[in-house]
Amino acid sequence: MSASLESSLRERVDRIESTPAIPAVFLPLLNLLQSQSSASLDEVARLVAYDHAIAAQCLRVASSPLFGLAKAPESIRAAVVMLGLRRVETILLTCCLGNAFSTRDWPIDAKTFWTHSLGCAMASRRFSAKLACCDSDKAYLAGLLHDIGFMVNCIVFPDETSVAVNLAHERQIPLHQAEVATMGFTHSASGKALAEKWHIADDIVQVIACHHLIEDGRSSSPLVALVHLIDLLCRMRNLGYGYYESHGVDLQGDPAWATLVAENKNFDELDIERFTFEMDDSLAEIHQLVNIIFA
Amino acid sequence: MSVTSSTGVSGAREDTFSLTDPIYRQIRDLIYRVSGIYQPEEKLYLLLNACTRRMQQVKVDNSRTYWNLLMASPNRDPEMRALLNEITIGETCFFRSQPQLDALRNIILPELLKEKSRQIVKRVRIWSAGCSTGEEPHTLAMNLLEESEGRLKGWTVDIQATDLNDRSLEAAKAGIYGHYALRLTPEFYKHKYFSRFDDKHLQVRPEVRNLITFNRLNLRDDARMLFMKGIDVIFCCNVLIYFDGISKTKVVNHFFNDLNSGGYLFLGTSESLMKLNEQFHLMHFPGAISYWKPSHSSTKP
Repeated sequence: MSASLESSLRERVDRIESTPAIPAVFLPLLNLLQSQSSASLDEVARLVAYDHAIAAQCLRVASSPLFGLAKAPESIRAAVVMLGLRRVETILLTCCLGNAFSTRDWPIDAKTFWTHSLGCAMASRRFSAKLACCDSDKAYLAGLLHDIGFMVNCIVFPDETSVAVNLAHERQIPLHQAEVATMGFTHSASGKALAEKWHIADDIVQVIACHHLIEDGRSSSPLVALVHLIDLLCRMRNLGYGYYESHGVDLQGDPAWATLVAENKNFDELDIERFTFEMDDSLAEIHQLVNIIFA
Repeated sequence: MSVTSSTGVSGAREDTFSLTDPIYRQIRDLIYRVSGIYQPEEKLYLLLNACTRRMQQVKVDNSRTYWNLLMASPNRDPEMRALLNEITIGETCFFRSQPQLDALRNIILPELLKEKSRQIVKRVRIWSAGCSTGEEPHTLAMNLLEESEGRLKGWTVDIQATDLNDRSLEAAKAGIYGHYALRLTPEFYKHKYFSRFDDKHLQVRPEVRNLITFNRLNLRDDARMLFMKGIDVIFCCNVLIYFDGISKTKVVNHFFNDLNSGGYLFLGTSESLMKLNEQFHLMHFPGAISYWKPSHSSTKP
């Protein structure tokens, strides 16, 4: 990407921060989630007290079958006791993100976008928990935010993004390839600009910026490799961008697979077919969650 | 979801047959380990119904005892086979897996034709192994006929359909089907490729049947399996479950050898190869998985 394009991108991304729709609790929550020392229950409760709608939404999500609680929590405090602080923080952040931006006039259905992001978040968490290759909450956050640049593009480059989406549909090619063909840059570049603006942790910025670059053979961190693979898998299992991508995916032949194998000797033992079938099983729950959060 | 058996078993409590019973998930895991077939959550009720029918047959009145029968009794192998039979009853129908057909037409076929374009004989060979009463090979033939004026113009398509069962093969050759077999068939295909046989049945038109050669073949017959050479794509859906571990490995190795380099093997939609052959590469397509035999020259792009 040229320097002038990058500076124009940053300039446009700057305007996003002044969007009034971002819940006040969003950025402080993001900081809490990324801090090394875990936040206290009081801090989270204090933040959420500013936004009753988010708190109520969080409780509805925590009560969904996905979390398997015998009894629905009645307060954020109760949810933390039942699910743990980190889990509640990630739910809150997910709810905030769903409310953060106006999705009017997006060139794709916003629910489809959030289903992809949430699907990647949940599958990344499950995958990392299975393999112990990355911190699973970090994996969730990385999955949730990896395509945040697409949201940026929808807001600041609506017409150009619309052309890219149409091309992707028409040629049945991956979205980032259509973006390069029509705009000259991808959602990874705009996502990186926003992530840096928001002071998102470096390892997650890497995921946002590089989750498609692995295809070019660039080396990557295990977290980037993980989200790259999960993104591919989701797009092959009805958790993509709502159109048919006419290509096959060889996960085990992907450079990202080699990165994870190098980190985890047991990785080759992973039953990827079974993981795929189990992911299909969670589709209904993911749609249900998206309906609660991003309605 | 909670489903209770409507058939019931004499003396059994209603809640014995509830999906909330963890035994059914244990049985699901056992079936996956033994057969590679995964019962998705939304179809767990089918597993429950199958178990209920088997429990009636063997006169077992609770799920725990049935679990022990599958795990530890001297009859565990025949019982597992009987249960697998119950699970796959009624599985065959036209257009059973649209994602597999889409992958074949949109992704695999263009790739194969490109790969084979330099060959003198322009022929695509597809094998429906364990074709039962013919729904699968007929579906494949109709889909490939749709390409006959496009991608496949100038190409010969040859569909080999084999099964062990003579009666199934006779039915397949006749090509007469009722509503249940056609329940997933789009109207477009019904009108274009079927003619009315009687009030309740349609018959596949000759131009479809002419693409298919039906033959009796036992997949355990090593000598005959060696002759199935030069295949581009194999469909073998819900067949491997009937084989024990050693036979299964042998059949899969035959499939690998019978395929051309760059060819594909499709199994049932929830079925996996369970690493029976490490030479195949697992490939994901939208909504479908397949096993790819690597080309000599290249790795997958």
